[in-house]
Amino acid sequence: MEFNLTKEQQMIQSAARDYAEKAIAPLIEDIVEKNEVPLEIIEGLKELDLFALPISDEYGGAGAGYASYVLAEEQLSRICPGVAVIVSVNNVGAAAMSIFGTEEQKKKYLPMVTKGDGVFSFAFTEPGTGSDPKQITATADRDGDFYVLNGTKRFITNSSYEGPMIVFAKDTETGHINGYIIDKFCEGYSISEPWKKMGVRGAPLYDVYLRDVKIPQDNILGEPGQGFWILKVAMALGKIGICSIFLGAMLAAYEEGLAYATAKTHRGAPIAKFQAIQMAIADMFMKYEAARWMAYRIGYLADNARDKGDILKDSAAAKIFITETAIDVARIALNIHGSYGLMEDYKISRVWKDVIFGPQVEGVSHLLKVLVAGEIFRDLKG
Amino acid sequence: MNIIVAIKQVPDLDYIRIRDRRPIMEDVPQVIGDIDKSALAAAVDLKESAGGNVIIVSAGDENLEDTIKEGLAAGADEAVLVKDARLAGMESSVIGTVLAATISKIENGGLIIFGEGSADNYSGQVVSRVAQILGYPQVGYVNWIEIEERVAQATRSLENEEETVEIPLPAVMSVVSEIKEPKIPSVSSILKARNKPKRVYTLDDLGIEIPENRYVRTVINLAPVSQRKGILIKSVDELVKVFESEGIIRR
Repeated sequence: MEFNLTKEQQMIQSAARDYAEKAIAPLIEDIVEKNEVPLEIIEGLKELDLFALPISDEYGGAGAGYASYVLAEEQLSRICPGVAVIVSVNNVGAAAMSIFGTEEQKKKYLPMVTKGDGVFSFAFTEPGTGSDPKQITATADRDGDFYVLNGTKRFITNSSYEGPMIVFAKDTETGHINGYIIDKFCEGYSISEPWKKMGVRGAPLYDVYLRDVKIPQDNILGEPGQGFWILKVAMALGKIGICSIFLGAMLAAYEEGLAYATAKTHRGAPIAKFQAIQMAIADMFMKYEAARWMAYRIGYLADNARDKGDILKDSAAAKIFITETAIDVARIALNIHGSYGLMEDYKISRVWKDVIFGPQVEGVSHLLKVLVAGEIFRDLKG
Repeated sequence: MNIIVAIKQVPDLDYIRIRDRRPIMEDVPQVIGDIDKSALAAAVDLKESAGGNVIIVSAGDENLEDTIKEGLAAGADEAVLVKDARLAGMESSVIGTVLAATISKIENGGLIIFGEGSADNYSGQVVSRVAQILGYPQVGYVNWIEIEERVAQATRSLENEEETVEIPLPAVMSVVSEIKEPKIPSVSSILKARNKPKRVYTLDDLGIEIPENRYVRTVINLAPVSQRKGILIKSVDELVKVFESEGIIRR
């Protein structure tokens, strides 16, 4: 068993930390206020290969694997979870295409989202379903050599950027749920106003409207009828991003709590001298360390799994633990701040509004617990 | 013509904890110091106009090959290293001899760049010793370099002025950190670093025998103590008066 990072992993972690501190941190207030990340940040991440870290270098990615991806995403999210979410969603689409796409699809779309002007979106959720693929109402009608897509997708990240989107819809002929690749802003594609979200600002969510969007028959991802399996793999990989993002937010909370405890004085001495505060600091440290190694292990598992779908149980369990623990740590850090923590002048108030997102996105905690238990029972039965 | 950059691996200052005013060095990772990173960034810049390769030279312990990946990721083309456990804590004259012998192994070396001092003990001695041993001219405190044919122009950052000098190559220069801000390396360049060419020598390969008792013994290394004066101020005027009496501001 090895717990040390390799020199390469240390350097990737430092590169992400340096970029986040030098390029993103000075813009954070603007990002939060406008709920928008400037394009030059995405371009800067692409230049450093931090935008599509696990994607093969054959298609413009870094080919650095998921263990390094977790380290980088943690550092980006420590400064701005919104930026890390854009990266994570881009990776879900690009990774699904890397695994299931044809060579032509990969050559056409992956360089666009690793180095070019595009950003990937992944559209599953609808107004009527966020977790159950059987409830999908978006449709794909065969029309000669084409499919015609119709439907509404909800809470879709990156949908205001150019680039590809994987849309899950029901083939009206076969009843199969499939992933279809569309070019955003093609004819029939439109988006709503962004949802007014309370945290994770910078990664706006839109509803996406598809009205008779016509795509070639070749734009189906994987084999017809493979949609459920693609979703399972994408969900497993997406949770690695979410684990890293809320680990980074947790680290920010921990640092803020610690800094405040050592700077704020009461009767001439830092409040860190009080045992109640010391216990709070120890709690934050314990929780962060437990979450950190769980997240790093998920990256390792993804690198070593023959089939990425096989890590769904572990990634779901890690996602539940890390996102819930991020709220615990932020709550402790907020308590250390007292009423100052409620003021927007203090970073912890923003971190609090960020961490609250964790358990609600990419599968709510209760649903994921059912999934984890189901997988455990399945393993028991063999 | 190749540009040679001398690099020293030093403890990562961000990871050093202080306890009872003494630094705790256990588990502190080794990295390339900040000024050396600036020196390397300047060399990589110069390569674009002057051509040739950027070659790192460095001497150190068993961690050296790992540490030097930072330099190879930052744009150096090759590394020539001396790895020997006996080098730990060695004094500057020996390190100067070792680096000069290593540099002599590199063909077509034109400009040899050092940071003006290392990030750990900042003695600034090695650069002059290397220049002396190799018999090359030396320029210090450089913040700008241009190379044309076999001649370099360099601007020196002095206390009250800047001085631009012309110097025939090969030559040795020490640079200040302002010469070039190091770039963040891309993930691809980090991953490619391990495959860049590396030559590793031992002291025996170089035919260098280390004289006895040439190690630096640190007698005491204590962090400075900061003491608060505990002066209670009730108005801005009072604050200004205190600043004046402490000599912090003058009217």
